[in-house]
Amino acid sequence: MAVVLDGIAYGLQLALLAVGLTMIYGLGGVLNLAHGQFAVVTGISAALLLDRGLGLPAALVIGVALAAVLALVTDATLMRAVYRLAGEARVLLSLLLTIGLAFVIDGLLIYNYPFTQLNVRVPGPAIPVLGVPMRRGSLAASALALLALVVLIAFLRYTRQGKAVRSIIEDEEGARLCGIDPSRLRTAVFALSGALAGLAAVAKAMTSSIGATEGTELTILALIVTVVGGLGSVAGALLAGLLLGIIYTLSQVYIGAYVTFIILLLAAMVTILIRPSGLLGHGA
Amino acid sequence: MGSVTVLTVDDLAAGYGDSIAVSGVSLHVDEGEAVAVIGSNGAGKTTLLRAICGLLPTRSGVVTYGGDRLTGTPAHRIARLGVAYVPAERHLFGGMSVRENLELGAYPDKPDTGRMDMVFELFPRLADRSAQHANTMSGGEQQMLAVGRALMSRPRLLILDEPTTGLAPVLAEEAYASLEVLRGEGLTVLVAEQQVPLALGFADRGYVIEDGSIQLEGPASRLHGNPDVRRAYLGIA
Amino acid sequence: MASTELPVGTADASTEVAAVHHVPLWRAYLPVIGAAVVLAVVPLVIRDSRYLLGIAVLGLAYAGYGVGFNIIFGNSNQLFLCLGALAGVGAYGTTILGNEAELPMLVAIPASVLVAALLGAAFSWVSVRRQLDVIFVGIITLTFSLMFLNLLLGQRELTGGETGTVVLYDAGIVGARGLGAYYVFLGVLVAYLALHRWLQRSHVGWAFRALRDDELAAELSGIDVARYKVLAGVIGSAMVGLIGALYANYEGFISPTTFELGNVDVPVLVLVAFGGIGTLLAPVVGSTVFTVVDEVLRPFSQLRITVYGVILLALFLGFRRGVIPTVNDLVRRLLGRG
Repeated sequence: MAVVLDGIAYGLQLALLAVGLTMIYGLGGVLNLAHGQFAVVTGISAALLLDRGLGLPAALVIGVALAAVLALVTDATLMRAVYRLAGEARVLLSLLLTIGLAFVIDGLLIYNYPFTQLNVRVPGPAIPVLGVPMRRGSLAASALALLALVVLIAFLRYTRQGKAVRSIIEDEEGARLCGIDPSRLRTAVFALSGALAGLAAVAKAMTSSIGATEGTELTILALIVTVVGGLGSVAGALLAGLLLGIIYTLSQVYIGAYVTFIILLLAAMVTILIRPSGLLGHGA
Repeated sequence: MGSVTVLTVDDLAAGYGDSIAVSGVSLHVDEGEAVAVIGSNGAGKTTLLRAICGLLPTRSGVVTYGGDRLTGTPAHRIARLGVAYVPAERHLFGGMSVRENLELGAYPDKPDTGRMDMVFELFPRLADRSAQHANTMSGGEQQMLAVGRALMSRPRLLILDEPTTGLAPVLAEEAYASLEVLRGEGLTVLVAEQQVPLALGFADRGYVIEDGSIQLEGPASRLHGNPDVRRAYLGIA
Repeated sequence: MASTELPVGTADASTEVAAVHHVPLWRAYLPVIGAAVVLAVVPLVIRDSRYLLGIAVLGLAYAGYGVGFNIIFGNSNQLFLCLGALAGVGAYGTTILGNEAELPMLVAIPASVLVAALLGAAFSWVSVRRQLDVIFVGIITLTFSLMFLNLLLGQRELTGGETGTVVLYDAGIVGARGLGAYYVFLGVLVAYLALHRWLQRSHVGWAFRALRDDELAAELSGIDVARYKVLAGVIGSAMVGLIGALYANYEGFISPTTFELGNVDVPVLVLVAFGGIGTLLAPVVGSTVFTVVDEVLRPFSQLRITVYGVILLALFLGFRRGVIPTVNDLVRRLLGRG
């Protein structure tokens, strides 16, 4: 039981990490493999700000904002070339360019701040949930992830802009005919995905820590969850995140560290082979 | 009618890739008019309409709407100027409800409940299914939704591409009956249609397009009586 | 209209090859011979430095990987992001068979190469059967690459885990790490280049060009796309696997990081893209440049990644076709369309 709760907690974090990635794909047909790096930027910048004496809330907010700005700039610059293409060519170019970007960021961060880590300690004793004592950090991370996801889903379901975003994912031409400008919304969502990645970094910092070297691993995790949930599906990312989170923790406890990762990867591979559109994605 | 010209197309050429699908097309639509563009499959009707609505770049020629130049303007901005286009494929938001589809039609404005009531009055079947997902509806209902969505933006000009595609004859007639109602309220309509009798029965004027250029034009009644038109489209020798 | 053509210089391969068809045999293989001669002379220049020789061997190895990548991606549009893993299969296969099963090198190497080739065939075949988009092929091969890495790390008794494993048996000329080893690698590379050229000039190359241009049209005109994709997958994977196996025997020591994505797939992608994906000598040109760049950047090891990133961006933002096609064009223009 404890393991399942841990799994849900981890799963919420995975969902938060993946949801930005899947949205960008749904909206623009691009894959951002620098997603994990955006998260790391938040972690490192917040850590550096904390070192300089800035208060925790301010450091975190600035860190997340920085990731959003970075994402915005990326969309405004690199992605321009990508949007000029269509279909497979677009995805492929986005993949290549964002790998390049990921490397640039990775290299710079690892070189300059190899030991900087963000660690958000939530003090206090464990709180019992359903009879199981959960670490406060884990609970805080879950709460953060849950809150962010709920706000995001509410935004998409109930606000005009959110519906406009969904409409572009549903049918871009139809959206255009309704007077919706896909490229402006795409840029906004790209920036949003950066912020979500940043929030995921904060959540991770609450349960363990985040440092410069973890960008790639985070991107891979986001990719796995995105693929299993269905590229472009927010609900899919949520569902897949929870599922994979539980599988992850179960496997960690009963099997072992390396095999666990293999299982997650296998999940992604099997999904692509059997049902490429993922759990909840639109048909391939 | 002799009133304001709402839409002017002047010597338009457009196509896909390296080929040109329509060329030298000129037409106009006056305020309150209903104009039909008729022609067989592949004649260039869809290309023409898409070029007008900004979904297809134009090779040459100018399209003006009111005082604005449409050529070179992106589709979403054209939509906001008051030109509502209902494509043949409809492009509805399948995973979203009827109500949400209609609401989005009004974007960027807040959805006007008065407007939505009007759409539901025009298409009562949509009211019954307002919470249903668009992709679970029948062809006829989807067509109604597509038109309803276009109407939500209070357009000045409604452009429809083959609105009767895939509709049973009864539904096709109902569709044109609805368009008549809208016309009665002062809406200007441009419709491309393969089903010539319905189109000519509805429109004031028509243009016949074949092989990418306008072959004939004139009042609907005159076209209806034209021997070439009768032979080619009405199956009358 | 948005373009759907893949954003890599594969189109140039067809121009290059079209010229090849009407060209006599010796001229067709001239680039291969030329490269062979130039590379053969290199060790004579640096023979006194064991260190430089080692770097040169590494350069040859990466050029070899590059030819494999060129055949798989450049010729048949399959984005295999598992080249490092395939090389690792060759390397670890050979080492484990040699160490544990005590099979002789001449048996262990082909055996592990065969496994690599079969894996490549499997990926190709599955991708075609399931009609996977390029991006999904990339993702499943990437996933495999990571799975393999974790497998290596996890199976500690067999593979030595993080700390790697040492080649315990006699690896012959290659293991001696001298000039002989260099020429073995060179021989393999030249063989690869010759094979690639031969493929380009044969009906296989013709089929590759057709399916690169428009896969559906090729299928409809009777080309068995699956067969040719699998062929490309097998050949490229075997090439990569062999280099991995040879490299294990050369170094005498391998560890999981040697064959990681960042250490193999990415540099290979960058160096081949730099040279011009699809063009014959791209791997050689790219590898030469990058071996030098790598050495220059050695003191700033982490910034190497940044430099790769910048080059990737530059390549795919602007300079997309790579060096060789660009130079070809330049020369053609200078000579007035000769």
